[in-house]
Amino acid sequence: MIIAYHRPASVDEALALINRTEPETLPLGGGTVLSRPGPGRYAVVDLQSLGLNKIERQGATLVIGAAATLQDLYARADIQEALREAIRRETTYNLRQSASVAGALVSADGKSPFAAAMLALGAVLVWAPDGRETPLAQYYDGVSARTQGLILRVAIPVDAELRYEAIAKTPADVPILCGAVGRLANGLQNVVLGGIGDAPMLVRSQTGGLEGIELANAVENVFSNAYSQYGNQNSSNSDYLKPTSAILLRRLTGDLPGRAG
Amino acid sequence: MEINRLINGNLQRYTTAPSDTLLAVLRREGFFGAKFGGCKEGECGACAVLLDGRPVNSCSMLAAQAEGHRIETIEGIGQHPEQGWKKTSGLHPIQQAFVETGAVQCGYCTPAMVLAAKSLLEREPNPTETQVREVLSGVLCRCTGYLKPVQAVMRAAAYLRGEAVPPIDGSIEAPEGLFGEPGGGDAGLPNIGTPSGADTLTRVMPRISITPQAGAWTQVGKPEQKVDAVKLVQGKPAFTADLDMRGMLVAKVLHSPVAHARIKRIDTTKAKALDGVAAVLTYQDIPRVVYSTAGQSDPIPGPLDSFSLDSKVRFVGDRVAFVAAETEEIAYQALQLIEVEYEELPAIIDPADAMKPGAVRIHDEPEYVNFGDSNPEKNLAAELRIDIGDVEKGFAEADFIFEGDYEVPKVQQAHIEPHVAVTYWDEDDRLVIRTSTQVPFHTRRVLAPVLGLPMKRIRVIKPRIGGGFGGKQEILMEDVAAHLTIATRRPVIYEYTREEEFIAARSRHPMRVHMKTGVKRDGTITANEMYALSDTGAYGCHALTVTGNTGHKSMALYIGDGPYRESPNIRFYADVVYTNTPPSGAFRGYGVPQGYWPLDRHMEKIARELGLDPLDFRLKNAIRPGEYHPFSKSWSEGREPRPEIIHTVGLEQCVQQGKAVAGWDQKFHNPEWRSVPGKPHLRRGIGVAMVMQGTAIPYLDMGGASIKMNDDGSFNLLIGATDLGTGSDTVLGQMAAEVLGIPLEDLIVYSSDTDFTPFDKGAYASSTTYISGTAAVLAARKVAERIRVRAARMLNERGGPQVEADEIELADRKAIAPDGRFVTLVEVGHDSLHHTDQEQIMGVASYVSPSSPPPFAAQFAEVTVDIETGQVTVDKLVMAVDGGVIVNPVLASGQIEGGMTQALGYAVCEEMRYDDKGNALERDLVDYHIFRADEMPKLETLFIETFEPTHPFGVKAVAEIPMDGVAPAVGNAILDACGAQVDVNPTTPDRVWRALQSGNTGGFTRKEVR
Repeated sequence: MIIAYHRPASVDEALALINRTEPETLPLGGGTVLSRPGPGRYAVVDLQSLGLNKIERQGATLVIGAAATLQDLYARADIQEALREAIRRETTYNLRQSASVAGALVSADGKSPFAAAMLALGAVLVWAPDGRETPLAQYYDGVSARTQGLILRVAIPVDAELRYEAIAKTPADVPILCGAVGRLANGLQNVVLGGIGDAPMLVRSQTGGLEGIELANAVENVFSNAYSQYGNQNSSNSDYLKPTSAILLRRLTGDLPGRAG
Repeated sequence: MEINRLINGNLQRYTTAPSDTLLAVLRREGFFGAKFGGCKEGECGACAVLLDGRPVNSCSMLAAQAEGHRIETIEGIGQHPEQGWKKTSGLHPIQQAFVETGAVQCGYCTPAMVLAAKSLLEREPNPTETQVREVLSGVLCRCTGYLKPVQAVMRAAAYLRGEAVPPIDGSIEAPEGLFGEPGGGDAGLPNIGTPSGADTLTRVMPRISITPQAGAWTQVGKPEQKVDAVKLVQGKPAFTADLDMRGMLVAKVLHSPVAHARIKRIDTTKAKALDGVAAVLTYQDIPRVVYSTAGQSDPIPGPLDSFSLDSKVRFVGDRVAFVAAETEEIAYQALQLIEVEYEELPAIIDPADAMKPGAVRIHDEPEYVNFGDSNPEKNLAAELRIDIGDVEKGFAEADFIFEGDYEVPKVQQAHIEPHVAVTYWDEDDRLVIRTSTQVPFHTRRVLAPVLGLPMKRIRVIKPRIGGGFGGKQEILMEDVAAHLTIATRRPVIYEYTREEEFIAARSRHPMRVHMKTGVKRDGTITANEMYALSDTGAYGCHALTVTGNTGHKSMALYIGDGPYRESPNIRFYADVVYTNTPPSGAFRGYGVPQGYWPLDRHMEKIARELGLDPLDFRLKNAIRPGEYHPFSKSWSEGREPRPEIIHTVGLEQCVQQGKAVAGWDQKFHNPEWRSVPGKPHLRRGIGVAMVMQGTAIPYLDMGGASIKMNDDGSFNLLIGATDLGTGSDTVLGQMAAEVLGIPLEDLIVYSSDTDFTPFDKGAYASSTTYISGTAAVLAARKVAERIRVRAARMLNERGGPQVEADEIELADRKAIAPDGRFVTLVEVGHDSLHHTDQEQIMGVASYVSPSSPPPFAAQFAEVTVDIETGQVTVDKLVMAVDGGVIVNPVLASGQIEGGMTQALGYAVCEEMRYDDKGNALERDLVDYHIFRADEMPKLETLFIETFEPTHPFGVKAVAEIPMDGVAPAVGNAILDACGAQVDVNPTTPDRVWRALQSGNTGGFTRKEVR
């Protein structure tokens, strides 16, 4: 239950509130998650007056303010179409209007199309107060203890190629599986699979492409890791998930221009 | 905290708590147009408002966040155009378009849709259909299938651009032959699919072949605007929860966390001591009265096995205690303070375990009242054993015996308005129950003993209903609020959350079905047998009747050919078992969709096995006009069966016209069409299913109506029938208006209130237009008769040739003599009340039908299957329906489109699952996905009218039949696309993939016996 609401005018003021130990105080982006009734008593710090809702192009990087909404990002002409599709599949049109980019990443579960796409793009989180940067992959790697604090910005490359595909019961349903592949300007290829853990997983991040056997092995490893980490929550369906994951990723990596080999 | 908000241009200061959502504050301040959908994650969007011009879900943001922003609610958008001496600008063009196009069904999500459309049209005056669908995708609608809302927005856009739009009544009548051209599928159809799409999206009339009898009518058959649409499109406080009473308490229920247990100890001391708690009730506090929650006529055709509160819990979500508190937060806190010690019992989750020897007994209470063959010792809520003809002889005469096993899931009604009730004592110490129910009269009857009140001291008011689909044919939760009002003497509101809808409401009975069919080489069915294991969950509400309908409505369709037409051989056996899962109940279609998945999938496979055309095979064996409904001699919902002849069957015409529009001949078995260029992993397929439903329950269900005439020639139509968004108030009004010779606008329709309106059984069994509509017609005839008598006298008093009453015709608001002289109805009404031999012209009538004429339909589905992943995309649904005469084509097509969309979810994605402890895996509309506006296939509705002679205007029903055929048609289309035999519904990607991998025929077997 929210016991106090703050709308600070500066990042410093926000940080002071967030860093206090009593009461627990959480940053509030769009409020789509924290406004839900739930256990616990905490205060919230609304980020809307901190100027963190801007999206700016800086060279080949898109710098997205943490409080920018998913719809703000969706409406940008300079994002990848696959990212737009992933945002469209992330949540409903109305919720996109208020859900913040950072909030969506922080609260994402393993089936999040947006998180999968951002992971494939090699998104980087920039934290207050010192601008410390954390790759999103690293952030999700420690899912059980996701870093607390205040995200200022999220950075993604606009010159990367991105592909996204999902298997779902209907076009707009939560995906059973989703995959995203980002090929960055430096040749690094991020292959991401969503649907089997608490966060989308980086299957491979390497220069050059993945060939058949290698891909299958990578998928097998991801499943093994996921099952050991998350308690086989999807194991009853693994006869389906494993081969179709490989198919999904094969399609995404299959004819990616410029891939090695 | 104090916060300034700019709402609809007015800056106001409000007091809010930090945790208050914007929705809570808006509704507290009287902005009832923002609706509560019960969801926790904002997935339904019914609460949407515009924040700085963008649609946002007010339940998913804090009120404090909105400070400094511009808020628009539906209340600031438009007004009724006529408000006495005060001139208004009327409805907003978007609202007007929603009213005109029939985009308003239950109206619960309509304000949110209107606001979303406004946000789009303000930035994009000439939107594409894709843009419209995207902006509407933030608002879930369970009624419309989104087609008419999309059409409304396109029409509104045209209005706002100053363009002309086609008239609403610009019907697309069938040409002499077919709707479509034989060679073209979609090609050659009139006014559909122009390159711009504009005409498609502003023309709302379905294609319809009209019976000759309907030609002269002025009201029946016309796309009149829904009588409640203007208030609903303005977001007026028309629903149960749109009421703010002084001192109203909030009710919450403690639900069981275990599937099966006795309550060893329950201590409410701490909860009662919490400040702000007004009452805490357990089974120790209220009378123990056994009843059934099923909303059905007396006697309830099922076991009495429920209590308001019990010392035993039978599913995760069962009731443990009730709390009433000053606020919702306090009520939730109180729930956490109730201490309960459970003695857990073994739980039955799989229905196959229910009747095994040694299985734990779920109902061991001594008060249990059996009905029919229910047997709680065997966990058997109902048993059906129906034999028609000589089934074994039929099998012996067959050349082939085909057998197969099929399965259908438990699914949720998912009406956007959750269950909600408000109860209070009125000034006469009568208990008023304001509730979102389909069965107000049954609610009063059933609850009287439960509450310890005589029936006459209970008044049930049904406001507008935000969707029901059978889920509200249940006396589900009104007793909670009522008990708490009795305990506290204060008004109480109890509003389900979405999670409660999943764990503590009713749902469709899941079934496992075995089919066995005997067929001759020429395709003649010699015998057909179905066995269903039906899971009623923890309580037996609707157990017998739902499952009975599974056989009654599906197995009656195919009676065989030749001599088998006179003496069909049909067997339907079913065991309806208790399990420790949430109870099943009524859901649109009422058991029939469960029957058509196995039946029609089985028919498709047989046709393919024998190399027969699937359409010809079905039609060869299908029932025809003049034949007996085979079940009418054997079963009638637990009552005495009476033979019934089916007079009208438009199935063959439905097939002919439907297949033309679907392009069946060009697509079926066409490998060229089946492949998708450049995408070798995709396959297209087309499938069909043929279905029949029922119309009302013969000799049982009754509807009443009364009509009184006013001084100004207007009329009040009072009906007990419950319009749950279907438009029945409008349709009944149209029929009465036709008899009275008036436009619909001269009829004020009011339903339903147990104090003021005649009895009606309620809205279920596709009965309202047929049963209650006949009552309205009969009442109107009585009124018309009195009008004719007075009019004749008035005309004769004016001189000229004498005229007899029976020579008078009522038309155009006049009573007209054969020679053209007339008196107006204003004159008649005024004279009758004020001048001469004063009388109240009034008619009261009721109707019970001896018939249940089935509607028929041919359902076509087109799919694309990803053969590597099993993913299915449904591209198009075409449904050709014989629902008799269509009273209102726009509203009826809305029923078909919405029904097909619900059925589409049933076909591909909707499924309620449980873990081995009985915990629901789906608890919201995120995990349980229902279709959104931006992912819909193309929908096409065709009406093939027949004139049903048992109804004054020849009507049958359309409300439930769209639920029946989509799933099997999709299953058959998948089979056509890629050969996958998916026998378990829904056809999820993993099931399709496994069927493809195994390459076998599932459980389907063919045995040549001759």
